[in-house]
Amino acid sequence: MRRLPVYLLLDTSGSMRGERIEAVKNGLQVLVSKLRQDPFALESVHISIITFDREVKQLLPLTDLEHLQLPEIIPPESGPTNMGEALLMLCDQIDREIIRSTEEEKGDWRPLLFLMTDGKPSDLAKFREAVPRVKTKNFGAVVACAAGAEAVDSFLKELTDTVVHLDTADSSTLMSFFKWVSASIGTGNKSVGTAEEMVLPPPPAEVHLII
Amino acid sequence: MSKTITVKSQEGKSYQFVDDGSPMQGGMKDVYFAPDRSYVVAFFRDKQDFNSKERLTNIVKNYRERIFNQAGGDYWKDLFCWPYDMVEYNGRTGIVVPTYQKHFFFQTGYNPSGNQISSIRGKEKEGKWFASAQFRSKSFKLHLDKSELGDWFKYFLVCIKISRAVRRMHSAGLAHSDLSYKNVLIDPSSGRAAIIDIDGLVVPGKFAPDVIGTPDFIAPEVMSTKHLGKTDPNRKLPSIATDRHALAVMIYMYLLYRHPLRGGKIHDTDPQKDEELGMGSKALFVEHPTDLSNRPKLNQVKPTHLPWADVNKIPYTICGPYLTDLFNKAFIDGLQNPSARPTADDWESALIKTVDLMQPCQNTMCDQKWFVFANTTKPVCPFCGTPYRGQLPVLNLYYKKPDGQFGLENQRLMVYNNQYLYPWHVNRSIFPNEKLTAEQVKPVGYFVFHGGKWQLINQTLTSLKDVSEDKEIPIGSAVELTEGKKILLSTEAGGRLIIVQLVAN
Ligand SMILES: Nc1ncnc2c1ncn2[C@@H]1O[C@H](COP(=O)(O)OP(=O)(O)O)[C@@H](O)[C@H]1O
Ligand SMILES: [Zn+2]
Repeated sequence: MRRLPVYLLLDTSGSMRGERIEAVKNGLQVLVSKLRQDPFALESVHISIITFDREVKQLLPLTDLEHLQLPEIIPPESGPTNMGEALLMLCDQIDREIIRSTEEEKGDWRPLLFLMTDGKPSDLAKFREAVPRVKTKNFGAVVACAAGAEAVDSFLKELTDTVVHLDTADSSTLMSFFKWVSASIGTGNKSVGTAEEMVLPPPPAEVHLII
Repeated sequence: MSKTITVKSQEGKSYQFVDDGSPMQGGMKDVYFAPDRSYVVAFFRDKQDFNSKERLTNIVKNYRERIFNQAGGDYWKDLFCWPYDMVEYNGRTGIVVPTYQKHFFFQTGYNPSGNQISSIRGKEKEGKWFASAQFRSKSFKLHLDKSELGDWFKYFLVCIKISRAVRRMHSAGLAHSDLSYKNVLIDPSSGRAAIIDIDGLVVPGKFAPDVIGTPDFIAPEVMSTKHLGKTDPNRKLPSIATDRHALAVMIYMYLLYRHPLRGGKIHDTDPQKDEELGMGSKALFVEHPTDLSNRPKLNQVKPTHLPWADVNKIPYTICGPYLTDLFNKAFIDGLQNPSARPTADDWESALIKTVDLMQPCQNTMCDQKWFVFANTTKPVCPFCGTPYRGQLPVLNLYYKKPDGQFGLENQRLMVYNNQYLYPWHVNRSIFPNEKLTAEQVKPVGYFVFHGGKWQLINQTLTSLKDVSEDKEIPIGSAVELTEGKKILLSTEAGGRLIIVQLVAN
C-alpha cells in the first residue's frame, strides 16, 4: 500500500500571533479529524508539518493518521519569515522521508505540498535557491495559500501555478482553507472525469484560485 | 439561521429542504435534507447543460419507471437510492433522492478505544470501510467495532444484493459507469447493500459518461486509453462491460479484503505511471495461477493488512468452485477482453449457489464464522484452521430430465443444524430473486441434528417422498438423512431429487 505524503508548510511568524495562529491550530485539528473519518486517507495519508518564522522546524515528521499527535505551535513575538529556509528543509526532508520506487519495491505516491503564509519570504535569496529545488522533487501538487491583505502572491507564483488568495486571514477563512486541503487530499478515491486530469476540487467560496 | 425552502418540480410537485448554510457536500453536489428527513434535495454546483438535464429527466422518469413500475418493483427500493424528481432553484438544478436507509449509517463505528481517538458514528457506511483489511485488524487502532463487521456469510448476501441491482440496471439497458465502493453503501451486520449516486448513469449510444470511474475500479481498457480524445474511435469509455469489471473487483474485495490487481509487480518507478500500467495495459491478477510476478510481497505489506494480503494463506479458491470459475473469467480471460467477463447475472447465480455450500465454523471465536465446503473429506475452516468434527450431510441435487431419468446438477446443498430448506431448493424452476412471491420466500422444511441423527423436518411440502424406503413423508414428520438415501422433494415439474452423502470426521 503506497503512502500519500502530505507536507504542510505553515507561516508562524509574529504576524500570525493571536487569532490567526489559533485558527491554524483549529484548522489542523479539523483537518486531522476529517481525515480520520475517511477510510481512503486512513490507509494512505501521512502528514508532516514544517513551521517557519525566524526559526524553521519540522514539528511533525511524516506520520500516519493512526499515530499522529498534533504538536504545540507557538509563534515568536516578531522577526523574519524564513520561507526560503523552510523550503530548503522541506527538500532535505523529502530526500530523507520519501520512499522512492525501485525495481523491487513500490514507493510512495507523489507528495503533496500545502504552504500557507500571511506575508512574504524575508530570506529571498534562499527562497530563490529553494524554488528550483522544490520543482525537482516531483510533487503531485503544490498549493500555496496567501492569507490576508499583507500576503504577497507574486513570490508564491514562482513556486506554483496554484496560488489561493484568502482576502482575510480570520478564523473562518483559514478554516475553509483547511477544509479544502482535506477535500484535495481525498480526491484520490473520487470519480475521475473523462475530460482531463482533475487534481483539485473547486476551492471554497471565500478563496480565489489564481492560476 | 436555518430556513426551510419550498421548490416545485416541472410537474408542479412541491418539495422542501432545510438550508442552514452548510450543506453536505460531495464532489459535485450540495445536499440538503427535507424537514422530515425522508428525502434530500441535491443541487449540482455546476450549471447543467441541456444534455445533462435531459439525462437527469430520463433518470428520474423513464429509466426509473423501467425498473420500479414493474411487477416486484418495490423490491428495488431497498437496493437503489434512485432520484425521483428534478427541481430548479436559483438557477441551479437539483434532484430529489430518498434518504439513505437507517442501517446504512454507523451505529458504533470504531472499536471502543478507537472511539476515544475519533468517531464515525452517524456517518454513512461507505463500502471502502469493509473492503480493506486494515479496518478489521485488531492491530490497527482505528479498526471497526465487531458489531459493524458482520460475518462472512453476510458479505455473500451483500454481494448478491449488489450483483442483483447491477443485473437489473443492465437488463434495462443502463450502465452505472462509476461502480465503486464509494457509490455502494453496505451494511455487513445485516447483509444489505444499496447503490447510490445514480445520477451518473450511462445509456450506451445515448448519454455518454462524464467520469471514467473511481481508482481501483476503472476497467483496464478505459485506463489504457484515457489519454486519447473523447471522440477518438479507440478511446474506451465506461459501459456495461466496464461495470462488469468493477463488479468483479468489488465482489473480490468484499470477500477477500484485498485488491485483485494490486500486487508486488513494479511496472514503472514513477508511481503515477505504475498505477496507469498496473490498472491498465499491464494489469495482472495477483493470483494468476501461472504468472506469479504480481504476487504480493509479504515483506512489503503492512502487518495490519494480514492475513488477507497473503494469497497463499487465503487463496481466492476458498470462495468455492463457482466463484473461482468466475474470478478466473473476470481477472484472467476477461481482464483485457471485456466480452469474456462474467455478467452480473452470472455473479448472482454463482453467489447463490455458493451460499448453499456454506458451513458454520465450529470455533465460536472464529471472526468469519462461516466457510465454503471445499468438497473434501476433511473440511477445515480456512480462516481459523478449525476442522469440522462430526457427521456432515452433503445433499447432491438431481433433476428430472424430459426422458424421465434424473440427471446430476452442478449444485449441492450443505446441511447444518437449524438450516432451512426453501422452495428454490425443491424446484429448479424457482430462483431466489426479486420475482419470488410472498409464499415462495417461506421455508418449506428444516434440518436438525437431534438424538445423534440428521433429520429433515417437512413443514409444508405436499409430495415429499423417501424414495429409498418408498414412503411418503407427510407434513410435520421427519426423514432421517443417511448415506445414500434418496429423497424426492416434489413430484411437480422441476421437482428435485436429493441423494445424501455423509462426510464423517
Ligand atoms: N440520499 C441521501 N441521504 C442522506 N445523505 C445523503 C444523500 N445523498 C447525499 N447525501 C450526503 O451528501 C454527501 C454528498 O453527496 P454525493 O451524492 O456524494 O455528492 P457528489 O455527487 O457531489 O459526490 C454524501 O456524502 C452524503 O453525506
Ligand atoms: Zn473458523
